[in-house]
Amino acid sequence: MPPGLDKLQHIVVLMMENRSFDHMLGSLKAVNTAIDGVTPDLSNPDTNGNPVKAQALAEFQAQLQPDPDHHFPAVDLQIFGGDPNRVANMQGFVKSYFNQQRDVGHSQKIMYYFAQKDLPVLTTLALEFAVFNRWFASIPGPTICNRAFAHYGTSFGRVDMNLIYINEPFKSIYDRLIGATPKHTSKLYYYDTTSSTMEVTNLLENQPELFGTFPQFLDDCAKGNLPDYTFVEPNFNDHESDSGEEVANDQHPDHNVQAGEIYIGQVYNAIKNSPLWPNTALLTVYDEHGGIYDHVVPPACPKDQFTASANDTGTGLPFAFDRLGVRVPAILVSPWIPKGTVVNRVFDHASTPATVTKFFLGDYAPRSPRETSADVFIEPNSGAVDPARNLLSLDVMRTDCPDFDV
Amino acid sequence: MMMIHVPRPKNAFNPNRPVSALLKAQMEYLHEAEKRLPLRYHSEIYINAVKTEGEAAKYIRHVTEAIHEAHEDAAAARARVVPKRKRVIEIAAVADEAGERRMRGRSKSKKKGGSRGPKK
Repeated sequence: MPPGLDKLQHIVVLMMENRSFDHMLGSLKAVNTAIDGVTPDLSNPDTNGNPVKAQALAEFQAQLQPDPDHHFPAVDLQIFGGDPNRVANMQGFVKSYFNQQRDVGHSQKIMYYFAQKDLPVLTTLALEFAVFNRWFASIPGPTICNRAFAHYGTSFGRVDMNLIYINEPFKSIYDRLIGATPKHTSKLYYYDTTSSTMEVTNLLENQPELFGTFPQFLDDCAKGNLPDYTFVEPNFNDHESDSGEEVANDQHPDHNVQAGEIYIGQVYNAIKNSPLWPNTALLTVYDEHGGIYDHVVPPACPKDQFTASANDTGTGLPFAFDRLGVRVPAILVSPWIPKGTVVNRVFDHASTPATVTKFFLGDYAPRSPRETSADVFIEPNSGAVDPARNLLSLDVMRTDCPDFDV
Repeated sequence: MMMIHVPRPKNAFNPNRPVSALLKAQMEYLHEAEKRLPLRYHSEIYINAVKTEGEAAKYIRHVTEAIHEAHEDAAAARARVVPKRKRVIEIAAVADEAGERRMRGRSKSKKKGGSRGPKK
């Protein structure tokens, strides 16, 4: 057993909001050509037919107003570009954003991406650890249904923001772990009660003991008390607290991207400076692309057991959950990962419960068809390990990992 | 070991920002949960009238804390039931002792040739 896997006891997932891979990490193509980022030839036509290039002009706040549309019909246009033959081409982002304000100049901003220097935390983690070239949102749609895939391995047939009524037999990853024999531990940490949790309100309603706050996460890290599996949520809104002004750090447009950078750095630092650092893997991932440009066509995938009706999708066509959503940033951190690792296998948010289940519980049923077909980003810690798939592959733990002054 | 400098955002705080579709969805989820709480935990906030992030934050906090409070109150109520059961056992034990005393008394009275027999 490779020592990194042998020592691994804790998996932590931090899920941010609504930014595409090219928007956040596209600049890294210039630093490491293995990273599938932005190249000078990438463009989208505007509504006048003129090509709009992807440019490193993204700003931290106040640039993407109104919030770019990322509901199912809008993402359909972004991916297929309005092609009547429905060949995916990623040529409809500017057209889609134009539909919101009918302003050609403003619609071009959807092509902007961040310069590397603007995102010191995310780009450093991507270059220092493992960055995923092919991590996609689970659905070409909005937040709630995509987050459901991270918790349940399915959205139970939903492609929208409406309430998801949880159906048996697919249990949340948290229920699977705490109900296992031997019992495992699991917790969701929201930022504070004023930010609360997103999508899993049903769990909060019935099992509030599963939840903690970000200060409790920091304390649990410091004391070496993290559960086996941890899900961390950012602050979803600007609000006052006892300690003063709390700026939303989820990076959802139009929230400040720098605030999110600090939050990602705080989560990383808390783990790195804890006694659990040799035993913990941290995945930072975004729930969906937020309507912002990415150049990689989302691949087809095995369908789920649910189908969204033509009425529910709003496109006039049903959806069998047989295509992934737009690509998002995803980075796996561990001191056992070689610097500069780039992963080309395909993942989506169903990979999270798939990985956590296989690692801690082994074979488990029932799981959704989408989850059972999703790849895992950490190999199970039993049986033979394929070295070509194992990302925690170093024989000796790294001592050169960065710190952030957050 | 590298120390990476991370700039701080400036003037980012704006609780008057219009509430987003995401926060509206979050409020609707919490509203469903709120409706299932006992009435004494309900807020007086009408979520369709919420226009800003700051207003949404107040509602989200109220319901989240109400859910925790309701569970804590229910757990405390369950815990209060436990001593009550103990007391029943103690009463039963006292009753047993009283019974034993009576039996001892009866034995004594029988020895004395008492006339009262056991109740039927």
